[in-house]
This record gives sequence, structure tokens and C-alpha cells, in this order.
Amino acid sequence: MNTKLKVSKVSKIYPGCIANNNVSLDFESGKIYALLGENGAGKSTLVKILSGVINPDEGQIFLNDKLLKLNSPKDAKNNNIGMVFQHFNLFETLSVFENLSIDSEKNNYQLRILVNNILKKYNFKIDLDVPILNLSAGQKQKVEIVRCLIRNPKVLIMDEPTSVLTEQETEDLFLSLKKFSREGILIIYITHKLKEVLSLCDEVAVMRKGKVVSISRTVDEELSSLANKMIGENLNKIKKITSNNLSGEQILRVSKLNFNSEDPYEVNLVDINFTLNKGECLGIAGISGNGQNELFQILSGETLSNNGSIKFRNKEISKLNPKERREYLMAFSPEDRISQAAVPSLKIYENVALNNFKTSNFFEKGLFNEKKIKDHSKKILSNFSVNTDNVNLKSQFLSGGNLQKLILGRELITSPELLICFNPTWGLDVGAINYIHQTLVKINEQGKSIILISTDNDELLQLSDRISVINKGKLSKIMSADEVNPEKLGLLMGGGLVD
Amino acid sequence: MNIDINFLGILIGAIMASSVPLILAASGELITERSGVLNLGVEGMMIIGAISGFALMVITDNLFLAIIGSMLSGLLLSLIFGFLTQSLLTNHVATGLALTIFGIGLSAMIGKDFVGIPGKEFPLLFVNLKEVIPLFGPIFFGHSIVFYFAFLLPFGTNYFLKKTKIGLIVRAVGDSPISAANQGINVLLVRYCCILYGGAMCGLGGAYLSLIYTPQWIENMTAGRGWIALALVVFATWSPLKVLVGAIIFGGITILQLHMQAMGIRIPVQFLSALPYIMTIVVLVIISRDSRKIKLNTPTSLGQIFYKEK
Repeated sequence: MNTKLKVSKVSKIYPGCIANNNVSLDFESGKIYALLGENGAGKSTLVKILSGVINPDEGQIFLNDKLLKLNSPKDAKNNNIGMVFQHFNLFETLSVFENLSIDSEKNNYQLRILVNNILKKYNFKIDLDVPILNLSAGQKQKVEIVRCLIRNPKVLIMDEPTSVLTEQETEDLFLSLKKFSREGILIIYITHKLKEVLSLCDEVAVMRKGKVVSISRTVDEELSSLANKMIGENLNKIKKITSNNLSGEQILRVSKLNFNSEDPYEVNLVDINFTLNKGECLGIAGISGNGQNELFQILSGETLSNNGSIKFRNKEISKLNPKERREYLMAFSPEDRISQAAVPSLKIYENVALNNFKTSNFFEKGLFNEKKIKDHSKKILSNFSVNTDNVNLKSQFLSGGNLQKLILGRELITSPELLICFNPTWGLDVGAINYIHQTLVKINEQGKSIILISTDNDELLQLSDRISVINKGKLSKIMSADEVNPEKLGLLMGGGLVD
Repeated sequence: MNIDINFLGILIGAIMASSVPLILAASGELITERSGVLNLGVEGMMIIGAISGFALMVITDNLFLAIIGSMLSGLLLSLIFGFLTQSLLTNHVATGLALTIFGIGLSAMIGKDFVGIPGKEFPLLFVNLKEVIPLFGPIFFGHSIVFYFAFLLPFGTNYFLKKTKIGLIVRAVGDSPISAANQGINVLLVRYCCILYGGAMCGLGGAYLSLIYTPQWIENMTAGRGWIALALVVFATWSPLKVLVGAIIFGGITILQLHMQAMGIRIPVQFLSALPYIMTIVVLVIISRDSRKIKLNTPTSLGQIFYKEK
């Protein structure tokens, strides 16, 4: 039987923010629908309304022309709407089977048979009696999906399902979703990843600032058209002018750097040598886990190398800690924004104060100079277009893109001579990526230097003047960006050689 | 030789009896904590149970009413805690501490008029079997109904948590209240029930002291047992059977060190008095070393305030 889901004029208003503004959408089974939008566009709010977690202020939802009253998640379940949240709703310390049985009316014996049949049918390999905390992210997601399938869902909603999956797991997931769709389950797929929309979905609705701005078939769309709809403006094409008029003044010289780790999970660095000129961007490519972490930590001073030298503006800095290196006008933006770059439970201005320089006078006689820090923080927020001006906000409430802007702002506001950043746009949406790329180009133009360690080859080719590839802790020959293409990078990243 | 065996039996029986209030309070608190609520008011609820049980006994001359009343009073006190922490979202630790202080003060006030009044004899079960069977007789027979209830309770609690649907829901709420709410579980209802149950068991533990163990009212007569019960739950890594072991060890060493003091063994009294605390912790730490089990048994959301999105 065909399933029709209709969202009619749904609005949800939070203090200071219209999360959903008169949203109307029609869905029909047999197709996979994408709900596309940047972080904060209102997708998650709509999903929470559909799954009964929150109530809309206005509007109705119809399933097969029947008005639904979704006052709790139970109501959604009873109406055969299944939901897989971005953050898993699983109980980590309970076993897989206990997680499945908790909301099932069936007795354990019947349930086990049913679950085993589902696992077999879709070729999911999950041990039912291990606790959830022993599973990988992909397996946890499968448990969530099985939990929905137990109830014979008519509608299955997936909220940003691939954000925690590996590439292989993503492919598996897409195969399963296509299979569900063929079996008549209506699938709504929420994402901000454009490529996934084109490869998986049949129709796409784009949301922006709480409104649906476009509904179209994916065959009529391409990456750039979707990106423009999502951002609402034409993205500035970032054009890096490879400057031939580099002064040639050397700013950093790393020579004979070695690092042997006692930790078996770390990568040893072997004989790292490179130099960096003023105003230049050096890209370091590589498959993650080939020594990028270790290289970043040694350049930033989080760990010290066993031997070798790092000379920054003719001073030997290899034995200095990150704070001392910052005093010499180096700046760092680590890969993990939440645990390395910022403390999520601290307020914005407190996170700013963590970067405390001798000259910044944030503290007087050991006490907070609150006004000074707050003024400084406000300057960062406005200069780097973070979408809040409330410096008392806890950093955990910033979206990934805004947090990264804050971190970059904190690092850059002191006009450092060298910025070392590691995957600065990882997990961000198109708009934020664009902004950060523009910022990086701008600081190069101001004659400052960048080391960009990244696993995103497009980004590297776009921004770097010269590129090197790291593989198993060794750097390849450093190449001018003009002579590099994606194929060449790929070959080097896999450990191959090029002349 | 016969006399020795009998003495041994009586000694073990006494040890078990002395651990009853700990088992009751700790089993109750264990359920509360398994739902993710940390109630530090155990001592306060026990002492309120003790005085209200004793007062009811004196007033009504009915032990059954006294026992029920003590449980209700513990439950009422925990209801205050539940309302504050679950409905008004106050901090668990601060509220629990306040509850203990409140309970001790209130009990002293109510108890003023009951000091020095003798208690009533509590009916004991299977008294005639006590003399018949050597060793086991004095251990297992001739105790109050509360005693037998207490020793069955950890097994019941274990079964409840591991085998029943409601037990599963309690564990799920303690693991992640947000996920539970998204699954359509009424987190507040579950937590309120667990808090009230914990309160009732603490009240009963207190009443055991004032009605059965030492049938009289003395101000502050729980003497820190509530805190020991709390520590037992944590050191037993939220496992009911380990709580039982811990409670018996604590009771045992308390009784034994009293005998050692009486025998005049030349060990400083202060050290002997500290011995039960040290030994209980050491033993529980040793039997609970499996870090995997600790992770699985620990209620992840313990002490965290939960509120529902609207």
C-alpha cells in the first residue's frame, strides 16, 4: 500500500529564533527524499516534530490523509513512523537485545526470532548479547535501524546518518536504504552533504533559515545548484593567486626532525625537512593516520621531538611549549575543535582567555580582567562573523562552523606570522567552509604564512602554493601546486612514487 | 566443644542482624541510583524512619502500624527530595545533603519526648528451631520478619534489575534519560518511583534499629549507617549481591572488633573502630575490580539533572 506523509504549514518558534517557518512538504512511498540544509536551517526541528519529541506551535501532519497527533515519541511509533537520530538513542550499558526489547510488546522469545530474521534478511552482522558500548558507530546505527524495522515502519527518517560512518559503512547504509525504499518504506533523509543527496535520493527539499526554499528532483540538480540554494547566495569562487612575487624570505625551517613514539598507536616521523616562505601556504596531504597528528603536535609544541631542529624566524623553538611558541607569533588550530581547541563547557570569553599572552593583560594579579577579555572576545565575534554577539554563551552551543570561526579568530586576532591548521573545515557545512577558505586566502595575501595539514584534497589544491604528501610518517618531495593534480596526490598518498 | 559451636552460631547471627539496616538502606538507594538519581539523604531518611517507627509504636502500641509508618515517613522525606530534584531541577548532591541535615534535626525534635521510653518486644520467628539445630539454629532462626526480608531483598533486587521489564527500564533511564524519553519512557515517573522506593527502604532500615535491634529511641541513633550504606552502593559497583557481601563484612567486623576490645587485645581502640570501614572498602574494591563490569553497572547519568524538551 502506498504511504503518503503530508507536513502542512508547520511552524515552531523558539525565543529569538524561528526554527520552522510555515513548512509544508509532501512525501510518498517508493522514493527517497532528501531534506537538505545547513546546520541550523531547521531540519532537526522538523524531524523532532515528526517523531513527536517536540510539539509544533502551528500546523498539522497527515499520514495517509489521517491527521496525526504526535504528543510523544510513542505516538510516532504507534503510527509506524521510525526515526534514527543523529545522536544515537541507545543505552550504552545495556545489551543490544535489551535495547531492542525495551519498547517492544513482544515477549523475549518471539522478539529474538523476529530480530534474527531481520538481521538475516538485510545481512546485518550484530551480536545481540554484547553491550552497545562495544559496537562501532556503524553497528550502533544498524541497531537503531533494526529497532525501527521491528515495528514495520511506513516511514523511516534518517537524521544526518553518515556523520559518524566510515566510507564503507556509508555504502552499506545506502544499499540498505534503497532496499527499504523498494519494499515500500517512505524514506526521509536529512543531511547537509550534497554528494549524498545526488547519489542516494530521488527528490530534494532545501531548507534555509527555517523555510523550505526549493523542492526539486535530484536529476535536475547538480552540486553547485544545490549548494547555492542551501547557502542562499552564489558562493564566491575562491581563487588563490599563486604569488610569484613571494619575497623569498624564509620564515620556518624544519630540519632532520624525527619522532619515535612509545605508543604503538602513534606514527613515527622519519627525517622531516622543509622550509616555508613568508606569505606562503604549504599544504600537507595524506590519508588520515599517516603521521599528521604527530606532525601537528610537534610543530605546535604539544609534544617535543626527539631530535632535529625547528627554526622560526631564525630562532630555535623546538624545545618550547605551545604557549611560548605563540609568544613568538605562531598560531595553531587543531583538528579536534571540541576537545583540543576549545573547552565546550566554558563560555566564549573564557575560551578566548585561554589564549593568554604576556601582552594581552587578561589577568591582573591573578584575577580575571573581565571587561578586557569580553571586549576582546566581542571583537573576535564580529571580525570573524560568528553568528552570536553573546560572549557569555557556552561554547558547546555554537555549531561546528561557528566554533571553528571563533577558534580561528582567537588565533588570528593577534596577527601571527604563521598559522598551522589541521583539517580546519572537517565536518562543516558549505557556507562555513567557504568562509574559512576565504579567511585563509586573506591571511596569505597579508604576507602571513600557513601550514595546512588536511585530508581534503580539493581544499589543498585550492589553497596551497606548494604541496607535500605525508605517508607513514615520511614527507614526499615538496611540489609546486601547479604541477600537482588529484591523480598524482592519490598516488603519493597511497605510498607510490612519482618523478 | 558444644558451647563453642553455639557461641559461633550466636556470633554469626548477631553479625547478620547488625547488617540488616545497611542491607535495607543500601538496596533501596541502589535502585534510586540505578535510575540515575543520587540521593545523599539516606542517613536523614533512616533516622526519620527510626523515630517515626518508634513513636508510632509507643502511641498505637501496634508494631505493624509502626513498621508501615516508618516506611511511609522515609517515603515522604524522599518525596521532598524527588520534587526538588526532579520537578524543580535542583542539584542532587546539595539537596541530598540538606535532606540528611533536615532529617537528623527533625528526628531529634520529634524524639524529645520519647527518650528513655522502653521499646516493645518484637515477635521473632522460628524461635523453637533455634535451640534444636546446633550452629545453624542461632544463625538462621529466631529472627524478626524484617531480618528475613532484608536477606531476601538483594536477591530480589538482582532479579528485578536483570530479569524484569521494569528493571530494564530503570537501568535504561539511569543509562541515558534523554534516550529513554525519546523512546517514549516516562523518565520522571520512573525516577520518582525509584526515589520513593529508596526512601521507604531507608525508613524501614531505620525502624529496624529503633524497634528490633536496640528497641529504644536515642538521638542520632543511626550513627552514620546511612553514609556507610551510600558508600556500600558505590564500592559494590551498583550490584545488589555485592552490597549484601559488603554489608555482612561491615557488620561482621564491627561486632568482632567489639569482642576484641572486650578481650583486651593490645591494639589501639581507635584502630579497631576504624577497622570495619577500612576492611569493607578493601574487600569491595577487590571483588569489584573488573573494570568492564563496573562500566556496565554504573548508571551513566548518575546525579545529572534531566529535563524534557518541550
